[in-house]
Amino acid sequence: MAGMRFDLALLLLAFGSVLFLSTVSADLVISKLDRRIDLSSPIVRATTSLKVENNGAEAITEFLLPFPENQAKNLASLSVIIVEGKGKSKVSSESLPVRIVNPMDSPPSLVWYSVTLPKELVKGGSLNLEIKAILTNILRPFPEKITQADVQLIVFQDSAHVLSPYAVHMQSLTLKLPEPKVESYTKLENTKFSGSEIKYGPYANQPPFTYTPLAVHYVSNKPFVVARELVREIEISHWGNVQVTENYNLVHAGAVILGEFSRLEYQAQPHLRGASAFRHLIAKLPARAHSIYYRDDIGNISTSHVWGDSSRTLLEIEPRFPMFGGWKTTFTIGYGLPLKDFLFKSGGERFLSIPFGSPIDELVIDNLIVKIVLPEGSKFSSVSVPFPAKQSMQEKFSHLDVVGRPVVVLEKTNVVPEHSQYFQVHYKFSNLSLLQEPLLLVFGYFLLFVACIAYVRADFTISKSSSSYLAKLQWDEVRSTIQQFESIMNRCLIVHDKLQASLRDLSRTGDLQACKAARKTADSTLKELLKDLKPLISFLQSSPQAAQILPKVEELAAKEKELQEKIMQKHSIVVESYDKKSGSKDIENRVTALEQKIVLLRQEVDDLVDTIDEI
Amino acid sequence: MAPSVKPISSPVPIEWYPTLAFFMLSIGLVVTSSFFIYEATSSGKNRSLAKELSTSAVASFFLGFGSLFLLLASGVYV
Repeated sequence: MAGMRFDLALLLLAFGSVLFLSTVSADLVISKLDRRIDLSSPIVRATTSLKVENNGAEAITEFLLPFPENQAKNLASLSVIIVEGKGKSKVSSESLPVRIVNPMDSPPSLVWYSVTLPKELVKGGSLNLEIKAILTNILRPFPEKITQADVQLIVFQDSAHVLSPYAVHMQSLTLKLPEPKVESYTKLENTKFSGSEIKYGPYANQPPFTYTPLAVHYVSNKPFVVARELVREIEISHWGNVQVTENYNLVHAGAVILGEFSRLEYQAQPHLRGASAFRHLIAKLPARAHSIYYRDDIGNISTSHVWGDSSRTLLEIEPRFPMFGGWKTTFTIGYGLPLKDFLFKSGGERFLSIPFGSPIDELVIDNLIVKIVLPEGSKFSSVSVPFPAKQSMQEKFSHLDVVGRPVVVLEKTNVVPEHSQYFQVHYKFSNLSLLQEPLLLVFGYFLLFVACIAYVRADFTISKSSSSYLAKLQWDEVRSTIQQFESIMNRCLIVHDKLQASLRDLSRTGDLQACKAARKTADSTLKELLKDLKPLISFLQSSPQAAQILPKVEELAAKEKELQEKIMQKHSIVVESYDKKSGSKDIENRVTALEQKIVLLRQEVDDLVDTIDEI
Repeated sequence: MAPSVKPISSPVPIEWYPTLAFFMLSIGLVVTSSFFIYEATSSGKNRSLAKELSTSAVASFFLGFGSLFLLLASGVYV
């Protein structure tokens, strides 16, 4: 029973596979296929333009693309678009959704990608597709170790006939090499090498799943720059800046250098002794990037140049040594960007729109980690990246932080420059949370002041009954009494000044009533002040510490009293004269003598106040 | 209809940062000095806590904002 079951299963499997292959291959047929593989840079870009026809009975909604396993592992990007029209009227559609499928019966070591067509391809219809595949790490340097003087030779292996589950009526393959010379290449039928291109084809009527291996061995001295790890940190500050910090871990992934490196030979003949090395890297930063720095663990690296124009800023950096095969270098690039170019507000949310990959030209990144640090007090909502990436959250404590800033971490492996597209991070933030930083500083300073106030008022003496402590206490009391006395004196002087001013007003306006009123208020104020003065003077008399100051204080009080009397006298005389309506000359004569005395007394009072002040 | 997209920029124009920093810090330092003069010259019961606290509040406000703008003007975008 079991044996029969097993046989049945196998039979079904075989039948199913035949059916699968036959349905697939009978339905769609590729009438024309043109492959161009660009080998001029270490990143292999394969563009396939094909025309597929539906010769079967049913409408087809998906198109299958197989890749050999080693190519699929290194596939950085795969995009398929529909092209209509020819030449100038070419119209391309948007990228079609592609996903990996696992058909039951596929030959081993193949990875299948399935492209979902937007409109089903009806019976008898045809469609023009353009497939762009970007492969990294499939070029092998051969020989793997070279000396400084050798040129770098690369081997590229692929199939001359495209690997497809459909029959292909006409196909051709063109390989574009970086230089117009080639070491060796597989010679099949219809092979032509001219200039820097090798053309295989056209081949007609190939059945499905034909695979004809070919290998091309060619010279390539283009820099093989691979970043083993790149960490990009993008910090948003709503006070006006987006700061990008990139930490690179670069390696030259071409043929490893064998033997010694002679700096003398390299400097003398860089093209002969060091053709496979690279010195410069160019990074295309966004326009209006400022505060650009280039450093590593040792310190700043000064071999760099920046040019800018209104569309982008070019940064050319030179590592501390020329990079030969197998050599590594690590460095950090940082730059600031203006906020209004990258941060936008839409609906109730804000979002940051910034390029995802590295700005360095032709760089392959094995492991890219992008961290977006949102400002403190913001709430993260969503990220939209045009390709799959792993997402996670972290926290970072940066300048003036209390609770920490949310960090969105995006990770992706096998990144090529085609991935430098804009991606968006949405979050919510209210402008009031901006105030948290200055308020923190204000609070800090206020605590300092409160500490000062507490210190001045606190009493830190250990022995509260020692004679010096008691003497100090008494002296403090005397000082405060004197200060109060001084303030009373100053107020008396102000009253005197007011009286003088009222006399001047009188001579100007002739308003006798106002003058009399001023006199009345002055009298009452002075009386009050005199009353306040009495307890102060009595305290000073009783305290032994004030023995020095007391005579001066008493003298000041006496002088002030005299001054007060004289001013009152003068005031009364002037008022009387006005009452009697005598001439101004008359008034002058009567008052002159008094006036002189007043001035003298005032001078003495001021001097005494100064002396007391200095104590 | 997609909602309108507007670019965001800082609440205070960036060109003002150094000027604001200078003026706020100088005013803050002047008020601080008046606070310390008051502390040094007054004695005993003459000190008024209200005057001290108000002076220190004004001084710390100006010093706090002044040092924030100083940090921003020197490139530390906090």
